[in-house]
Amino acid sequence: MRLKLPLLPTTAVGSFPKPAPLVKARKKGARKNLERLEREATEKWIRLQEEIGLDVLVDGEFYRGDMVAFFAELLEGFKMGGLVRSYGNRYYRKPIIVGEVRYRGPITVKWWKFAQSLTQKPVKGVLTGPYTMMDWSFNEYYPDREQACLSLAKELRKEVRNLSRAGAKIIQIDEPALSARPEELPMATRALKILTQGIDAYFICHICYGAFEFIYPQMLHLPVHNFDLEMSNSNLDLVELFRRHPFTKDLSFGVIDVHSHVVESVEQVKERIQKALEVLNPRQLWIDPDCGLKTRTEEEAVAKLRTMVEATKQVRATLT
Amino acid sequence: MKLLTANTGSYPKIGSSPEKQQHREAYARWERGELTDEEFERIQREVIREVIEEQVKAGLDMVTDGQIRWVDPISHFTRRLGGCRLNGLLRYFDTNFYFRQPVIEDKPVVMEPVARAEYIIAKRLSPVTVKQVITGPYTLAKLSINKAGVDFHTLLKWFAEVVAQEIHALSRLGRCFIQIDEPAILKHPEELNLFEEAINEICAEKRRSKIYLYTYFGDVSPFLDAFEKLPVDGVGLDFTYSPKLASILAQRGFRKEAVGLGLIDGRNTRLESSREVLPLLKRALSGVEADILYLNPSCGLEFLPREVAFQKLRRMVEIARMARQKIL
Repeated sequence: MRLKLPLLPTTAVGSFPKPAPLVKARKKGARKNLERLEREATEKWIRLQEEIGLDVLVDGEFYRGDMVAFFAELLEGFKMGGLVRSYGNRYYRKPIIVGEVRYRGPITVKWWKFAQSLTQKPVKGVLTGPYTMMDWSFNEYYPDREQACLSLAKELRKEVRNLSRAGAKIIQIDEPALSARPEELPMATRALKILTQGIDAYFICHICYGAFEFIYPQMLHLPVHNFDLEMSNSNLDLVELFRRHPFTKDLSFGVIDVHSHVVESVEQVKERIQKALEVLNPRQLWIDPDCGLKTRTEEEAVAKLRTMVEATKQVRATLT
Repeated sequence: MKLLTANTGSYPKIGSSPEKQQHREAYARWERGELTDEEFERIQREVIREVIEEQVKAGLDMVTDGQIRWVDPISHFTRRLGGCRLNGLLRYFDTNFYFRQPVIEDKPVVMEPVARAEYIIAKRLSPVTVKQVITGPYTLAKLSINKAGVDFHTLLKWFAEVVAQEIHALSRLGRCFIQIDEPAILKHPEELNLFEEAINEICAEKRRSKIYLYTYFGDVSPFLDAFEKLPVDGVGLDFTYSPKLASILAQRGFRKEAVGLGLIDGRNTRLESSREVLPLLKRALSGVEADILYLNPSCGLEFLPREVAFQKLRRMVEIARMARQKIL
């Protein structure tokens, strides 16, 4: 897949902050109103991303709650579980696999089409990967983790194919759980092969909260073109890792800390990009935030993206 | 051999029904400054009472306070230490749970032990034996960021002192059952000698107490020789990460005063049947020699929804009853 993109393409990871009326409508569960608000937010953020100057856009995931529960609810074989604590006073509903997982029909395709219809710039298709779907769900049906994971891959492949048929040329697979059990990397690799093989798209794998040192360089065998990694939240020590063993794929380099209210300075972001260029060829490098921006306010998210685009433009100018 | 049932540590703080959401609501109000420390503490005790009641109702012989006051197993013991500050969130092993990572900048100073007060409250509320959980020195040291300018060995010794003081304060109350959680060692067999040194040091403070070493989230079979020799009174084993553990125990044998058998998966909602657990238990017991056996979940139960945690314990108690009739 050849993409026509500038050097150091800029993109976002997936989510943007939900507007207050949308958050309220979601809480109430007001179906019809909800979809209108979701479409409005999507449209607004497509405009914003264009105006900020991102090169590859995302739909903003306004129609999603939790990244695993959203897919679980639309696949057959899952039921929603009770509340489980994730940290501090935060709780989430962890889905349970209770039967054979089956694809019922398009999950994100409609949203991708809608977002893409609003812009000339490429919009990424984004889905949660089979390994994370397995790892972040309870399993009462499959005899082991591997069978759950590979079955999910087989079914989610249908979503990837539908995204590709609809016209998505760049597809991101979110696998934040991937680095938690290094010994299962071969399983995840098999799953991603099932997911992507023979589908003509440029695949990005997004991993965060990672302890990459345990899966690097083996992770380079995953059948994707680009890894999207959080770098600003990890004190950028990955650069040292890449010095020791060269990074052979493209890299979406997270230069914006999504957990902090503080907006980075252009200089700070430029330094991070230049640090990456010490170990990567400019042709390998994409620039984005560490993760989805949904936990920030709209002002913070916009300001952070503007800084990122400005810093990238300045570095780009020195390269050409 | 006597077979008892026990909890392995945490118990979910909230349930799905509105009246079981008390802890979450109080926590949020306390964070916003709408509840005083004392008011929040009163509600926490109310929840501790509830979760002890649930464990007793499930039929357990040995309960915990559910670790209701713990935000996470690491910051719980480090947040009040001098020389330590808390950093951002990090994933807790391979779970979907995150903990605040401590940064150690200087030798930790214990302001006041935390476990003793928890144990006193739980003991007052429980009609059955209470076990107090303390995160072990190796796991605390391993999951901290070392900015003190010392090597890991020194950091570990510092934490062994911290945990030794916790055990010392507890054991002055009389004989306590103390579970030391050390999941981190399973990932680092190369540091076993450092680990042994730390465990020896904390055991020196136990007086008449019983110290049970619990590990989970990894394969324990390479550690059986070492654990057998440690001066701890009991060892808790996670069977869910080592499918062959029962056979290995049957083959090599395992001798300890107390052995905790983590045959019930504390991480998955699927309820085990007696048909799958009893044969494993039987196989394991053909090699294990102990005065007391505990059937317990493989790890704390906070990874499950509250309703499932209760069902798991109930099922476990049923299985133990059948085991006493059929196997022992």
